[in-house]
Amino acid sequence: MNQWKNFSKGFIKENPVFVLLLGMCPTLGVTSSAINGLGMGLATTFVLLMSNIVVSLIKSLIPDKVRIPSFIVIIAAFVTVVQLVMQAYLPALYKSLGLFIPLIVVNCIVLGRAEAFASKNNLLTAAVDGLGIGLGFSFALVLLGGIRELLGSGKLFNITIYSENYVTLLFVLAPGAFIVLGYLIALINQIKKD
Amino acid sequence: MSNLYTVSPSPHIYSDDTTRKIMYRVVYAMIPALLWSVFVLGVDALRVTLIAIVACLAFEYIIQKYLMKVKPSITDGSALITGILLAFNVPSGIPWWIIVIGALAAIGIGKLSFGGLGGNIFNPALVGRVFLLISFPVQMTSWPATRQSATDALTTATPLGIIKEGLVNGTPIAQISKDLPSATDMLLGNIGGSLGEISALFLIVGGLYMLIRKVITWHIPVSVIVSVAAIAAIFWLVDPQNYINPLYHILSGGLMLGAIFMATDMVTSPMTPKGQIIYGVGIGVITISIRLFGAYPEGISFAILIMNAFTPLINTYIKPKRFGGN
Amino acid sequence: MAKRESTFINMVVTLFAVTFIAATALGFVYNLTKEAIELSKLKAQSEAIEKVLPEFGELGDSYKVAAESSGDSIEFFPAYKNGELVGVAVKTFTNKGFSGFISIMTGIDNAGNISGYEVLEHAETPGLGSKMDVWFRNVDKPNQNVVGKNPQSYKFEVSKDGGDIDAITASTITSRAFLDALVRAFEAYQKVELPSESRKN
Repeated sequence: MNQWKNFSKGFIKENPVFVLLLGMCPTLGVTSSAINGLGMGLATTFVLLMSNIVVSLIKSLIPDKVRIPSFIVIIAAFVTVVQLVMQAYLPALYKSLGLFIPLIVVNCIVLGRAEAFASKNNLLTAAVDGLGIGLGFSFALVLLGGIRELLGSGKLFNITIYSENYVTLLFVLAPGAFIVLGYLIALINQIKKD
Repeated sequence: MSNLYTVSPSPHIYSDDTTRKIMYRVVYAMIPALLWSVFVLGVDALRVTLIAIVACLAFEYIIQKYLMKVKPSITDGSALITGILLAFNVPSGIPWWIIVIGALAAIGIGKLSFGGLGGNIFNPALVGRVFLLISFPVQMTSWPATRQSATDALTTATPLGIIKEGLVNGTPIAQISKDLPSATDMLLGNIGGSLGEISALFLIVGGLYMLIRKVITWHIPVSVIVSVAAIAAIFWLVDPQNYINPLYHILSGGLMLGAIFMATDMVTSPMTPKGQIIYGVGIGVITISIRLFGAYPEGISFAILIMNAFTPLINTYIKPKRFGGN
Repeated sequence: MAKRESTFINMVVTLFAVTFIAATALGFVYNLTKEAIELSKLKAQSEAIEKVLPEFGELGDSYKVAAESSGDSIEFFPAYKNGELVGVAVKTFTNKGFSGFISIMTGIDNAGNISGYEVLEHAETPGLGSKMDVWFRNVDKPNQNVVGKNPQSYKFEVSKDGGDIDAITASTITSRAFLDALVRAFEAYQKVELPSESRKN
């Protein structure tokens, strides 16, 4: 299998947010700024990469009937690691992502990749897949967060672009997440069609 | 126009009603309230209305022509109505760029994203209003004082705003009532509020015109107003200390505007009389719930949008009777 | 390698092994990060205290007082310079925010004036209620500024309710909650006896 294709599919062709529509909870919940989107995306990428590697390594040791609980335990362990490390060394980011970090455990993308891909492929392919999908997820979250931050608070990556007096507040609130996501999906569909 | 060739099962009854004719009747119905708002609030009301109309027509044209690549339908009058209704829903002192954003939200998000007139689930003007209300809460709730108002204040609160503010602070109704305009003032529009919500009387005149010209039926406006009045009356009778006279609920705020002009939008309301009554009562109940227990003083725009979402469901379960069927 | 059969023994052993390894690894990471987490929490707290008080040399022992109206408590951090009390930082809270709980660190100097505040935790609407982190210490707007005012000589209520502080535009509920937290801190402050000299000297 062409590893580059395997890696790059996560960005547009099989983008978890825009095409597979998986993991909507963190996507809509944390993307009120580009930094939050990036933090969440990278945390998920780490979990995806590690869980794909481990699942791929031990896939033949796990009896079929208990594979889902085993995967969940592995994923939960990595999520807790991310949570503890972030709490210790990036307290500000941890505060703003808050509840959504533990929720990576139930993010469909992570379990989905473990079940559908890593448990059927070798170590390298699984790792490249996890990295590609994770970075595609991060890309989607940063894009969504960046647009919402720019329109809703006049900033981008916390740098003020224009005056707060002219911002459209709706975009940093929940409805803004849905509206921006809707138009981004429409745009990606249009790009894929051409 | 392509819809001339639409074939439907017989029997056919000829009617010279076209989308365009119906739309312009709605526009005529809004003129008295519009003129009155210009009289009461001054030239600013005219400025807001013109900007809203021009922006709505422009966005409709640009998006249809260049993004959707279809023949623009700006002459059918629906964007014109959206423009006037949007203007009716904002305070007269609002900056021009906010109106333009509202027009983009109304036409772009509310209407054309769903495929244009007939495809939209939600009333476009209300999408615009709620978009603005959430995005610019400060500008959307600063109502310039009316010309005749006795005080020399620059801005004023709406009657519902005064009531909500008072009740939150635990002031009894009797005390709050002193700050409230009289019922005559509210009927004529000598109160604080958005362009279109200040005069109940002229909105009713427009509504009667639409009834006579058969643009709307009585079911929706009456069921909205009656259900709001009934629930408000129950609370008022039980506890007059903490709930205001139902008359205030009917005459103040956007109730008339919403019940007569926005809830009755043909595209987003149910088709059958029975369905319309269910829809109207739903709007009434949600409106009064938000007014009495919610964080916002006024809730009719949210209520109409929520019930808009129920319209397809209502249409599914309450179907028009087939001609000749039992 | 052939896939292992789903026999009872295999399943039990596998699940046990997976959970055991995961738990061990987590315990290990927990121990590694424990200290850093504590440190970063303390650092956030002491940074907030530094921001709300005039310059001070050392912090005395903090102590908690149970709040009257609810189960939560108010925490005091007395600050000393050269052994003399210069002020006290009070970690206070309110449940009346537009989205519920708000936690605020506020400083009170010896004269009883508010010397500063820092919003520690809140869930208010961004762009509206969230403006409280700067609104109430805007030096150019004396009517909305609380810094340098004594809650005994000024009425810490929003002007709409007859108080002396202007509320955040379109966020009266958040403003009321904010002032509620400050008043709560001040009332608790009036009731406690603070050691006027550092015991360490």
